[in-house]
Amino acid sequence: MTDWDIVTKSMKSRWFSTMLTVLTVAIAAGLMALLISMRSAGEDAFRRGTGNVQMLISKEPGPLASVLNSMFYAQAPGNPIAYSDYQQLASSYPFAWSVPTQLGDSFQGSPVMSTEVSFFESFEPAMGQRWLLETGRLFDAPFEIVLGADAARTHGLAIDDSIELEHGAPGAQGGHHHSEFAFTVVGILKPTGTAHDRALFTSLDSSWILHAHDRRELVFGHGIRTALDDVDDIDRNITGIYASLGNRQAALMQVLSSLRTDPNWTVANPASTVGGLFTIVSNIDQILLAMAIAVMLSSGISILVALYNSMDQRRRQIAVLRVLGASKLRVFNLVLTESAMIGLLGGFVGIVFALIAGQVVSGVLYARVGLVIEPSLPIDGYLMIVLATIALSCIAGIIPALIAYRTPVVRSLRPIG
Amino acid sequence: MINQSNHPAVELSDLAYRYAIAGPIAVAVDRLIVESGEQIVITGASGGGKSTLLHLIAGLMEPSQGEIRVAGTSINGLRGSKRDRFRGQHIGMVFQTHQLLLGFSVLENVLAALMFSQIKKSQRKARALALLEELGINAPNARIDELSLGQQQRVAVARAIACSPTIVLADEPTSALDPSIASTAMDLLQNACRSNNAALICVTHDHTLVDRFDQHHRLEDLASDRAKPAGANTCP
Repeated sequence: MTDWDIVTKSMKSRWFSTMLTVLTVAIAAGLMALLISMRSAGEDAFRRGTGNVQMLISKEPGPLASVLNSMFYAQAPGNPIAYSDYQQLASSYPFAWSVPTQLGDSFQGSPVMSTEVSFFESFEPAMGQRWLLETGRLFDAPFEIVLGADAARTHGLAIDDSIELEHGAPGAQGGHHHSEFAFTVVGILKPTGTAHDRALFTSLDSSWILHAHDRRELVFGHGIRTALDDVDDIDRNITGIYASLGNRQAALMQVLSSLRTDPNWTVANPASTVGGLFTIVSNIDQILLAMAIAVMLSSGISILVALYNSMDQRRRQIAVLRVLGASKLRVFNLVLTESAMIGLLGGFVGIVFALIAGQVVSGVLYARVGLVIEPSLPIDGYLMIVLATIALSCIAGIIPALIAYRTPVVRSLRPIG
Repeated sequence: MINQSNHPAVELSDLAYRYAIAGPIAVAVDRLIVESGEQIVITGASGGGKSTLLHLIAGLMEPSQGEIRVAGTSINGLRGSKRDRFRGQHIGMVFQTHQLLLGFSVLENVLAALMFSQIKKSQRKARALALLEELGINAPNARIDELSLGQQQRVAVARAIACSPTIVLADEPTSALDPSIASTAMDLLQNACRSNNAALICVTHDHTLVDRFDQHHRLEDLASDRAKPAGANTCP
């Protein structure tokens, strides 16, 4: 028989109240852990999706829209860039690499990115992580298509499957089905853990043929056939340019400021744009964090209430322990230990809640917006939350512990009635 | 802890207790000595201060004046946790309503007393089991509320003598028991004290128990007329 046995006996004897209190603490700790882990994981996921792109050049109304649309597939960019303008730009600046991208088509809700093969060679979806093929090869002719890992899984597609695209981004108005052109799946990419996994990739030529076909149908009517030779400059549009100057950081600032003075272009530094986005989000974050702290405090009050209410029933037990030789400080510590135990259990259960809820939330985010968020904290972070929960529980346990400390032994031992 | 010194088990001198500082004396004892292993009974009317006297000896209440020595140590001279520790090691108590820990098993109730004793941790369980067997309790893992009143009394006795006390203080130990088992319970308590060499002070209003003890005192006779509690002489 130890003090620990007395504490556990006491908790078991009021198991329902103990369980509810632990649950309240767990919800608070879990909410806190989830919010903190989601925040850092969200920021990581966004930063990860921008990969090694130092400049995203477009004609979108602002850098944030440009990054969200061209790198996270939020919406199809609305302002086309003539391919010739891209060529001129690429030759005017000392880019280490630049890749044109075009968004606006889709397959059953998944975005289709038209680009060049250099997209897979120069652009790293996450810093230091190159594209890898799960199976097949990259496209090298019109109407060949390569699938992101999630797109392949979602649509159940395999190599040599034939698909037809819709013109217009997912959910966009005025979209139409292109049954005239069948695309053949030639490759499936390995997962990258970024929004790119839910996209399909084809050549710019393929996209331009679709656009040329739409233009020609307006002139020649339905039933015409369109090939690469029918593509005019007017069809050769892109919506964004991924670019990098490599290790030339000094040149980067110069190029960025030079491009920003040109009103024709919107230039975003994706990493700083995402940073800016999270600065905005952090205000909301702080409100949520404040709410989590409020829930945490209310859970502390619920510990206080649960233990305080139990003190009436335990007065006799405490008096008996005092008669047997327990000091006032020892009974104080017994109640405080019980309170800390509730905090410890609540903290641990809360972390488990947070991990489960984090998986659910990340699954939903991935399915809805293709954002791969892996909510997790370093072990220190979880430990800090558990320690904070224990500390709060100890504070909440002080009043009941003081009641135990001051229990009048003789009066509490008097026979009832 | 068995009293191995030459001191009496309990020695009360010039003891008085008032409920309020300027109030009348509620309990008074000019001098009372209980030798090691001796068994005495103190009788008195209900509400006469018998329980208060035991609480004073146990160090649960502060006397207004006088000294209480247990195994030669002035218990009212000890403060805080020292007094609690001393009580846990030297004094066992048996209550009218047993005051066992509900929700705990029979064995755990006895072990709870041993937690505060000087008996080595490794020997506590064996001692508790041996005591329970000696007192005829064969279900150490039974919960207290599963026992009859008579069995609960046995557990209370086992708990009181578990720490090998110098003195066992019994407060109306048979008043909650059926007369048919009260005698057996007293046998049990007295024999347990004898076999553990613990002195016994029993307070009761039951005069049928008087003949069992080495000494009998009426509470009101323990104080001189000058120090007698208010109304002491009016009690039957």
